[in-house]
Amino acid sequence: MSHSFLFELLLEEIPAWMLPERLRALEQRLAAMLRELTGTDPAPRSIRVGATSRRIWFTLTDLPAGQPDRDEEIKGPSARAAYAADGSPTRALEGFLRKNQASASDLTVRDDYVRLRRQVAGRRIERLLAEEIPAIVEGLHWPKSMRWGRGERAYIRPAHSLVALFDGAVLPMQVLGISAGSSTSGHRILANRKIEVSGPEDYATRLAKARVVVDPEERVERLRALAAELAAEVGGTPAEDEGIWHQWQYLTEWPGLVRSEFDEAFLSIPFEVLVTVMRVHQKQLPIWREGSLTNSFLSVMDQTDDRDGNVAGGNSFVTNARFADARFFHETDRKRPLEDRVPELRRLQFQEKLGNYYDKTERMAAIAAAIRDELGEGDAGAVERAARLAKADLVTEMVKEFTELQGRIGGIYAREEGMPDEIWQAIYDQYLPVNVEGALPRTLGGAIVSIADKLDTLAGLFRIGLRPTGSKDPFALRRAAQGVVQILLNRDPWRLEVPVERLLDIALSAHGIDPVSARATADDLREFLAERVRTLMEHPRYGGYGYDEIAATMESGWAGSLPDLQDRLAAIRDARRSPEFLSILDSARRIRNIAGEESSTAVDPALLEHPAEKRLAEVSALVAEQIGGLVAEGRYHAALESFAGMTAELDTFFDEVLVMVDDEAIRRNRIALLNRVGLAARQIADVTRIVVDRRDYNAR
Amino acid sequence: MPASLSFQGLILTLQDFWAGKGCVIEQPLDLEVGAGTMHPATFLHVLGPEPWKVAYVQPSRRPADARYGENPFRLGKHYQFQVVLKPSPLEVQEIYLDSLRAIGLDLERHDVRFEEDNWESPTLGAWGVGWQVLLDGMEITQFTYFQQAGGIDLAPIAAEITYGLERLTMFLTRRDSIFDVEWGGGFGYGPIRHQEEYELSKYYFEVADVPLHWSLLESYENEARRCLDADLVVPGYEWTLKCSHVFNTLDARGAVSATERVGVIKRVRDLAVRCAGQYLEARRRLGFPLLPAEEREAALAAFAAFADKTA
Repeated sequence: MSHSFLFELLLEEIPAWMLPERLRALEQRLAAMLRELTGTDPAPRSIRVGATSRRIWFTLTDLPAGQPDRDEEIKGPSARAAYAADGSPTRALEGFLRKNQASASDLTVRDDYVRLRRQVAGRRIERLLAEEIPAIVEGLHWPKSMRWGRGERAYIRPAHSLVALFDGAVLPMQVLGISAGSSTSGHRILANRKIEVSGPEDYATRLAKARVVVDPEERVERLRALAAELAAEVGGTPAEDEGIWHQWQYLTEWPGLVRSEFDEAFLSIPFEVLVTVMRVHQKQLPIWREGSLTNSFLSVMDQTDDRDGNVAGGNSFVTNARFADARFFHETDRKRPLEDRVPELRRLQFQEKLGNYYDKTERMAAIAAAIRDELGEGDAGAVERAARLAKADLVTEMVKEFTELQGRIGGIYAREEGMPDEIWQAIYDQYLPVNVEGALPRTLGGAIVSIADKLDTLAGLFRIGLRPTGSKDPFALRRAAQGVVQILLNRDPWRLEVPVERLLDIALSAHGIDPVSARATADDLREFLAERVRTLMEHPRYGGYGYDEIAATMESGWAGSLPDLQDRLAAIRDARRSPEFLSILDSARRIRNIAGEESSTAVDPALLEHPAEKRLAEVSALVAEQIGGLVAEGRYHAALESFAGMTAELDTFFDEVLVMVDDEAIRRNRIALLNRVGLAARQIADVTRIVVDRRDYNAR
Repeated sequence: MPASLSFQGLILTLQDFWAGKGCVIEQPLDLEVGAGTMHPATFLHVLGPEPWKVAYVQPSRRPADARYGENPFRLGKHYQFQVVLKPSPLEVQEIYLDSLRAIGLDLERHDVRFEEDNWESPTLGAWGVGWQVLLDGMEITQFTYFQQAGGIDLAPIAAEITYGLERLTMFLTRRDSIFDVEWGGGFGYGPIRHQEEYELSKYYFEVADVPLHWSLLESYENEARRCLDADLVVPGYEWTLKCSHVFNTLDARGAVSATERVGVIKRVRDLAVRCAGQYLEARRRLGFPLLPAEEREAALAAFAAFADKTA
């Protein structure tokens, strides 16, 4: 017979954003508990975990009765130490028996040692649950916990009631000092009464009658359907915003939506501001129609019936109030052009030792101009101007109020002042990309300003010794470095391909330090960027490459061109899947083993004696030329295949020619020949770093 | 909807309600403060083992929020209704919801939600965890479980409930501007307070004498220290509050750089931390008089054990 268990902990409102991760952890721990009990993975759907704004619950179904009984053998003292000459037990044996709570009749002697053999009863499932679950729930790691009342306990919020039902009966346990029972409470306002439940079968239905949808997925489904319906009523569609569903999902128990309107006059405020106020500050979802923002929006509520229009009216009132504030900021800001604000940046400190934001924009302009010169494309004047204006919005009222709009506000104001696209878009996009998945600046000018900002920050903070350590990265330097790499990797519609060494020189020069004397800082920065390259290349979005593929390819260079690195990675990944890859790898390894530290590739044809080495020299010259051509065209996979084509000649060479002969001139010549062969592949990657399982190839 | 509700009607209803829940009805602190939290009835009383229940109105000055009376939702000086319950009762949210019912709200016809919103005051070395309470999408109350004050971990924990009185009245009576709210007796909030808002804004932003305020800050700080050196906690705390207000004025005046800000906040916090520590010690010497007689001995012993452990 299989068993079931229902658990619910009723708390006070839990921060919605914390729940998804805690629920995942809870599910994993429950699965681990059952796995340890049964030795197998729990059946799918036998563990269900969920939460509402103020309760955490889970159900376990198809539970086994418990662990099977098992035999146990414990090794004791040696027979000599255990028994006196007359066969009576010694103190050592008595101690052993006492420790194990056993009697002499349980003992046997084998291989000169006393052994205790007995049967151990497996743990019953209900005992396991009662023992393990309180620790699992209390041990969930919450980002910020609190104390309450007498202050004896800490948890995410105060706990109110506990349901723990095993096969319909209360399983005695305590969580956060609360004893388990069989009743919980309904919706805080709509059904504030005791609700009796009996197990996983009736939990959801009993709670639904008390105005609680316990299943988070069901709440989202309801909200999504409702959102589409309410938006369609005004001929529009809800804004796409995956984040809002997760928030709404855990802000409610009995979710509903209302549509409200804000005053149409506010549509004159830049839509980015309106959307930010609604989404970030009010957790509302804007409605769009034919590419334009409408003055209708959706708000979540923890009930389904707004019969008097109170909720719709309240949300409309609050949003209008917020927008009135925003309009006030917009109008105040527009009285002065961005240009006028630039000198005020002198009052805004960037970093104590690196000066203020005015200094920063001056450096950004210098870096941007140098990068533009390096590329030889892009409007020099526009790029420099955008860099100088980039931070002016930090001293606008709008950004002081809505800091998350920095950059975008500057771009919008520049656009409103009639500046050309090249300039306002570069200001607007300066913080892009914001993460691995994030969009890049839309223009080359924007990319130059963005990378100039990031390089300035990186070079500056590294220069004064404030590089990130461990998890501490207060200036978000990892994200800045990642942004730099993402920009350098881009191919379309613009490419910003400047060697990393050159970029670092430019950035360090802008800080007034001679890159040559700052070699150590430049090296640190290059290694910091290399670390970001490795991380990004492992990310699915950038190819999801293996660490060995990345190491092998970066060994052949990466800083010159990141798109090229990516092409070589793709070729290596293709090549390692082909049957001839083992021969490429073996050849490269043999060459490396023999050549060691020797790096010369100067082959003297006059010193070639053996027909096999003459043949290899001939073929490798041809192949090297061929590979050279393919590499120049970026056809790395074909180049690797071409390298594999030398295998026969190389095998014959190794079979018939001894490299390590006494004659130094001949020995060196042969090593040079091998180096020349190896070098052809080394332009793409050091394939010897690829980790392979030979069985994968033999199986084919 | 209580259509006849006025600003003072709300105050009277809330006072009545919380008095009924066993609260002392305190009166506003007669000093400039940024929030009801700074009133000694909150900041000092949340410390230590003594129980406490209090409610009061506190005029709260935030110079940087002043808007010359032009913004319908922002004021340089507004009124908070502050409630402190220590230890926090387990049913504190339910009691709070009853207070909303008491002011005439039929909650089933509205949407009430508790959304995470934590509170921190770097100048007081205090922080707490809690929510903003949203009524139909509008923030009407700040709800905080105090965790630390003056750098001291608290136990028991106090629940602090702060109603924004102007916003709540404005919202309940559906006025578009704070200045359109009725104060009481037919008098309007605007005619009573608008001139003050304008003049205070002008003063904080344009007129306040910066060198004078810097020198006041230093004098007040010295006086606070002198009081604390003489073990006069309450006067010391009052001078600390005056430092805090002078700092807020300088800040609104745009006279504090980012580096200076960090420095001044630390100076005020250091005073607040001293006040908190010395207040606790003074209460101990008095034998924690707000505790029921039968609990005092145990509390004093526990306090001594704790002091030993931390020393």
